Amino acid sequence: MPMTYRDFFSGIAFLIIGATTAWMGKDFFADAAYIPIGAGILMGVFSLPLIWRSTRSLLARHHSSQPVMALVDHPGRFLATLGCCLVYYTALPSVGFYTTSALFIIVLAPVLGERRPVVVLGITLVFITLLYGLFAMVLRRPLPVEFFLAS
Amino acid sequence: MFESLLNALPVALQLGSLISLVVGTLIGIMIGALPGLNPVMAIALMLPLTYGFDPVIALGLVAGIYNGSMYGGSIPAILLNIPGTPAAIATTFDGYPMTRKGQGGLALKTACWSSAIGGIVSALALMTLAPMLAKVTLAFGPSEYFWVAIFGLVSIAVLVGKDISKGMLSALLGVIIGLVGVDAISGAERYTFGTLYLVGGFDLLIVLIGLYAVPPVLEMAEKRNASYFNADSFRVTDGDGSLGLVRRYWRTWTRSSVIGVCVGILPGAGGNLAALLSYNEAKRRAPDPETFGTGNPIGVAAAESGNSADNASAMIPSLTLGIPGNLIAALVLGALMIHGLQPGPQLFTRSPDVVFGFMWQLLLTAMLLLLLGGMVATRLFAQILRMPTALLVPTTLVLMAIGIYTVNGNVTDLYVMLAFGLIGYLLNRLAFPLAPVVLGVLLGPMAEQNLRLTMLISQNDWTVLFTRPISLGIIILLATILLSQSWKALRLRRHSARHDS
Repeated sequence: MPMTYRDFFSGIAFLIIGATTAWMGKDFFADAAYIPIGAGILMGVFSLPLIWRSTRSLLARHHSSQPVMALVDHPGRFLATLGCCLVYYTALPSVGFYTTSALFIIVLAPVLGERRPVVVLGITLVFITLLYGLFAMVLRRPLPVEFFLAS
Repeated sequence: MFESLLNALPVALQLGSLISLVVGTLIGIMIGALPGLNPVMAIALMLPLTYGFDPVIALGLVAGIYNGSMYGGSIPAILLNIPGTPAAIATTFDGYPMTRKGQGGLALKTACWSSAIGGIVSALALMTLAPMLAKVTLAFGPSEYFWVAIFGLVSIAVLVGKDISKGMLSALLGVIIGLVGVDAISGAERYTFGTLYLVGGFDLLIVLIGLYAVPPVLEMAEKRNASYFNADSFRVTDGDGSLGLVRRYWRTWTRSSVIGVCVGILPGAGGNLAALLSYNEAKRRAPDPETFGTGNPIGVAAAESGNSADNASAMIPSLTLGIPGNLIAALVLGALMIHGLQPGPQLFTRSPDVVFGFMWQLLLTAMLLLLLGGMVATRLFAQILRMPTALLVPTTLVLMAIGIYTVNGNVTDLYVMLAFGLIGYLLNRLAFPLAPVVLGVLLGPMAEQNLRLTMLISQNDWTVLFTRPISLGIIILLATILLSQSWKALRLRRHSARHDS
């Protein structure tokens, strides 16, 4: 997909965000509406040149000479990382911070291509120990309690 | 006053004070280097521990953490494109591209020297100009602060990136994100959609880490487990010698330090604004502005000296007027009060040793940065970043999670961070600059609050925004930047159209 299409659709998206912001802002109390309406209108105004330039370029069938960057380089690894993050954040409160974090590193590293189990386990152990020393013993920050310690 | 300053020097050079400076600087560099941890949090955690200490030792720790963390923030900004502190945003613009080009060591060395120089100039400004400069800030009313915020926002939106409309759209997106939550003046909810989580608005740190730290980690994850960084990136000794750095950057350091000092004196304007304004000024004056953003060391020098020059000067309104210029200055006031000292003009006559001693400590920690930052901390943190990419990704994500979770102790913040990360990733790919978004979140509320205060005071007389001399000066400066950049963009477009045809 050439950049002009992307510019066109991002211009439309910003126009919608701007219009929605201004439309919702008109209901705010008195001077609390100044900036929301102003920012929404300005967003709409600045999205117009983007839409105009990309439309003109598309109609003229003029493609940018610059190489087009893919939206996602490697969808598989991208989605696997996002999926692991979501599972990690969901498990964090019930399983405990240090256990979930250790499991997260142990699972995600091989998914991303690290095939040396000793390196993965070694770095995980050192990293989690350092985190425990800093956050639990020095800074004493309250973090989700480990499931095996919860009473 | 000069006599009091000299008398306080032996106090700052006591063994206890020196130890607290070294410990504080090391803690500060470490805190700054860990994304998600910030100097405010570190100083707030340290304060209760200093109850039993002598005020000079307690303030030594504060000075060390403050200056150390400002430099520490540049380490992940340069090596990972993750600003360790909000003030390190501008450092990522050229620092990270330098690392990708195999010049990480030179970037770190430049950042270390620039931070130290900025810190030294700032401490000297605090010592010599404090009473005089405090008077100038008294002339700033809400109208001037409104224009300062607009100037910061628009100049960044226009100068960063290649397309003015994309820069402005990014800035406005940031302003809209900053509007979410309860309105500070009327108490009305805005854009909360009835959600309790949104009532407090988005935490700046969450937005910052989401937009800035998550996208590079996702990009790293997409690469096969190959070396994401050039192995030579981490050589700390490459590039010019120290004298060469001084010869090369003294103009940039001077300009950025002056900007940093001036921004620091204005209450509410933090190191991030100082760094971005310094960066812009360096870019504007450079003979090769197109190289900025692609790994120009002058960009790193300007950003780092700018944000560090803000440190001590932010103490000027706090120490002379009792008005904290930023969160850290507020904590310093808290530290003084914990030890029975009353901030304000009387502080200089009642406890000159403590107040002038603190100024010396800020100067000494800035000098210590060259030793501790360059020789110990930088090498140590650079080694950590030699980890394989497949391991660097999950460990960085865990660091972000712990940093974000410790802000409010709320897991929802992690999902919000990830959502902002995806927005940042998308904006990056669509060639929208990210810095204006963050600036919008930061400066949008400041501009709004001051605009509404101006309207309240002037009884809705809009002319007051344009008639005060300082406001008018800022408007003229803003118009000059806008016109010159529009002219440049127009010429560039005509040139490329001619080239294509």
